[in-house]
Amino acid sequence: MANSTKISRRNFMQQSALWAAAFAGVGTLAPGRAMAAREKELNILCWEGYNSAQVLDPFRTEKGATVKAESLTNDPTMINRLRAGETNVWDLINVNNPWAREVMFPEKLITPLDRARFEPFFDKMMPAFKPPYKWAMDDSGTQLIGMAQRFGPYSFVVNMDKVSRQTAEDQGWNLWNDPAVAGKYGILESDDWNVFNICLIAGFDPFKVHSDEEVAKFKETAERVFKGAKVVGDIATMNQALISGEIDFHMTGGTYSASPARADGNPNIRGITPKSGPMNGKGGVSWIEITSTVNNPQLSPLAADFLEFVQSPKMSHTVAFAEGTFNPVAQMGNPECFNLFTKEELDAIQWDSLEEEMARCVEYDIVPDYAKLLDIMTAAKRAASGG
Amino acid sequence: MFKPMSAGFRSASPVLLFLLIGFAAPLLAVIWFSFMPPRSFSFGGAPTFENYRTIFESTTYISFLWSLGLAVTTVVLLALICYPVAYGMVRVFGKWAMLVTLLFTIPLFVSENIRLYGWVLFLIKNGVLLGTLKSWFGFELESMLFSVPAIILGMVYVYLPFMLFPMTLGISMVPNETRDAAFDLGASRWQVFKEVELPLSMPGIVIGFLLTFVLAIGAIAEAKVLGGQAVIPITQDIEIAFTYSQNWPLGAAIAVLLMLIVGVLVVLALRRFDLDSFLGRR
Repeated sequence: MANSTKISRRNFMQQSALWAAAFAGVGTLAPGRAMAAREKELNILCWEGYNSAQVLDPFRTEKGATVKAESLTNDPTMINRLRAGETNVWDLINVNNPWAREVMFPEKLITPLDRARFEPFFDKMMPAFKPPYKWAMDDSGTQLIGMAQRFGPYSFVVNMDKVSRQTAEDQGWNLWNDPAVAGKYGILESDDWNVFNICLIAGFDPFKVHSDEEVAKFKETAERVFKGAKVVGDIATMNQALISGEIDFHMTGGTYSASPARADGNPNIRGITPKSGPMNGKGGVSWIEITSTVNNPQLSPLAADFLEFVQSPKMSHTVAFAEGTFNPVAQMGNPECFNLFTKEELDAIQWDSLEEEMARCVEYDIVPDYAKLLDIMTAAKRAASGG
Repeated sequence: MFKPMSAGFRSASPVLLFLLIGFAAPLLAVIWFSFMPPRSFSFGGAPTFENYRTIFESTTYISFLWSLGLAVTTVVLLALICYPVAYGMVRVFGKWAMLVTLLFTIPLFVSENIRLYGWVLFLIKNGVLLGTLKSWFGFELESMLFSVPAIILGMVYVYLPFMLFPMTLGISMVPNETRDAAFDLGASRWQVFKEVELPLSMPGIVIGFLLTFVLAIGAIAEAKVLGGQAVIPITQDIEIAFTYSQNWPLGAAIAVLLMLIVGVLVVLALRRFDLDSFLGRR
């Protein structure tokens, strides 16, 4: 007995090496086994909401799966994670509309979905999402590359006790060109969207290559707007500052950012979409989230199952009102889903004006000279801080 | 000093390996990345000084100056606040010292962001402070939120324990007998403080200075939450480069410069105040 368990230092090392080699061999020679290990595992990189227990727990229970979700609050960071090699970590990525079609699919960071399985879900969505839905398809229009769910107009937010909805919608982005508003507004720290907004305040379309004169105007506008800001911060700070009276309005914002304050009993806080603007007459910008399967060499089979799972009327309603922010979902086109929303919930997401606001918006797109404009805007923020 | 392959070197090799993988490798990765072409995401590009050139040609120096200024101000204020408290904890408070220690320690169990948002609710217009003043006394004052003083308040509040406890340790290292001897030899209260207590408690003071300075220069939450980005510290420039800008090499280059600046300042401080001699090792 004693002999059978006696391990000398030498044979311990030898055995350890053998075991290590054996494990390494299994890992490299038998990918099927490693794949099998991911059948009960799902990793999601997403905006907040999809990472909440309300959404994930029912899926975990139904599938007996280990689901991990990480939430980030800007698209470029999430895409950079995939670019930096995390395609072998994540199974699903949930970002705003242009990234799947214009960046991730061409860069082979995501994979197409089974059209036969997923396209029928678009038939039940709101009319704007009927198949083939532009942002869910690749450039050729043949591959389905993601599923749509949350969306909303996203321009600016006012405290209607200080600035009426009528005034805000009529003046639009010109509100920021009035010298009298300095010190009365905030800016959400959403720098990609702030680049759009500075262009709109300066009076030109953000989603095109800009001339030298426009870039100069952008610089002047960014410096002025950031200099006049009372506060730059996150959504909680913006809502708190609006409610307390520190500020009267803020950009960037909309249903996504104002809905928590509205749901919390502050109907005077309202997302505004300008009636007109420099984008072929439109002044608002909207976003639509697209969730895609990552080009993971060992993609979990649960990725597609999860996409299907969140399409059900009940889960769509849960996604709309998951923790953090509250948003309309495309599935509200299905009466079974729409009927789950209470009057208070519809009021929080400004359902009364959603259709007309979306009609006044262009859809979020990628700014061709974003890098240059962002550098100028970052310098303007720094200059406003006392440079 | 280890001789290669000596028993000591071999025994220390697991720790050395751990440090190489866990500490040196990520640092070297950041340094190497700072020489990669702007807006690239791999280590394989042709090395370039482009990122450093961008930093020196831009207004990034403003952020460096803000971070340095805020860190120095925080350290100075903390020194002034903490020395009397530390002195009291060692020499005056007696059995209450433990309670004071707990009062300073317990907030550390709450996340920094939550504590800072607590300050926002306290300082915001119509919040705890101004709302109370308005409703009880009819004063209507402007809030100090979203300003440089609010940032400094937050930094002093957050980093206070990191100055206080090393200082307390330093002061407790001064033997009572030495103080008594100085008094017996006719030294005044001021002379005892200046000639005996301050020099002998210096190790704790210097460690407190270094600790709070290094933490404060890397601070970001205070400027964001309490300052409303009235100031852009250098750490936020790094964050923007790594996130919205998608420019990891630029972020890495700013981080390397920050490490260099902090490293040089710390080395200079340690040369001025030799910790080994303080601690009696030489």
